Amino acid sequence: MSMLLKKTTTTTLAMARRMAGTAAAHSHDGGMKLWKNFSLFLALPCVAIVSVYNFMHMAQEAEHGHERPEFVPYDHLRIRNKRFPWGEGQKSLFHNPHVNPLPTGYEDDHH
Amino acid sequence: MMMKSDHSFHLVDLSPWPLTGATGAFILTTGIVKWFQEMNMNLFLFGMMIMALTCIQWWRDISREGTFQGLHTSIVAKGLRWGMILFITSEVLFFFSFFWAFFHSSLAPSMEIGLMWPPKGVLPFNPFQVPLLNTIILLGSGVTVTWAHHSIMENNFSQAFLGLLLTVTLGVYFTSLQALEYWEASFTISDSAYGSTFFMATGFHGIHVIIGTTFLTVCLSRHMKSHFSSNHHFGFEAAAWYWHFVDVVWLFLYMSIYWWGG
Repeated sequence: MSMLLKKTTTTTLAMARRMAGTAAAHSHDGGMKLWKNFSLFLALPCVAIVSVYNFMHMAQEAEHGHERPEFVPYDHLRIRNKRFPWGEGQKSLFHNPHVNPLPTGYEDDHH
Repeated sequence: MMMKSDHSFHLVDLSPWPLTGATGAFILTTGIVKWFQEMNMNLFLFGMMIMALTCIQWWRDISREGTFQGLHTSIVAKGLRWGMILFITSEVLFFFSFFWAFFHSSLAPSMEIGLMWPPKGVLPFNPFQVPLLNTIILLGSGVTVTWAHHSIMENNFSQAFLGLLLTVTLGVYFTSLQALEYWEASFTISDSAYGSTFFMATGFHGIHVIIGTTFLTVCLSRHMKSHFSSNHHFGFEAAAWYWHFVDVVWLFLYMSIYWWGG
């Protein structure tokens, strides 16, 4: 009699465990809530904090106007063995005249 | 249309997309040659258009076959899983080659660049500014996509939507910041081996971020049309795997190129 009872209990427990494992119709196994909390209380705040830090730094730089390095015509920089396949072929794809000198120097004279 | 078979595999219907894809790839690559040799981008753009239309229509057909026609049995889904795993593995090997190039140039800097890394005259990015933010963004997006996954598995439609939306938003945020970095960089691709390795590695990574963001956006629209069920949502899983791969590549980029190499 007790053996039968034990078997029933074990089987019921095993069934319950199996049901909790499937994703079909149960309300929560903890995963969704856990990752929701990680997302809203850890990930997004970290993104916000580091974003604010960076934007403050960018604002500081914009005010101050960072010093751009003096132009030195090194051979290993501004290599032009083959022209770029656009325009005059002298400017890279993301060419920024303020910080990217051409092989002959900065295009704009002012800082 | 009624399918009749005595097996659970999917023998696909006749489709034009493999042919248009092959033709499109041929036109695209020939177009690149024409662009570089004759300064004319027409053939290249035409090839891009054909490839884009092929991808859209081929993948659209796959989701129709799976979601509406029920042809993605568990064994078919297993094959799709293997396919995605093998594809991502091939991409890992692709990035391995760019990391090889980077370490080749940076571990033993040559005379020509001043026996130093970064080379003489190159001002690298501060790894604790935007690059660090980008790292937090991608790590965070890995958390939000996991939230979305668990929400799908637990049949929570609105949380899955929110998790996916946040993931896509973080992806777009990353791309925008990286574009800003590219614009502000004091060095270009033509600035010694530093520029070459930096822009090849981060450039291809950026393309993969855009692809991953697009894949996740498609998942978002499919989710809104209730394509995903709690126990069958392989398209979403494939997108999430790809996204985690993109994140891991960035972590290696950040540690080697931005931090160690800066």
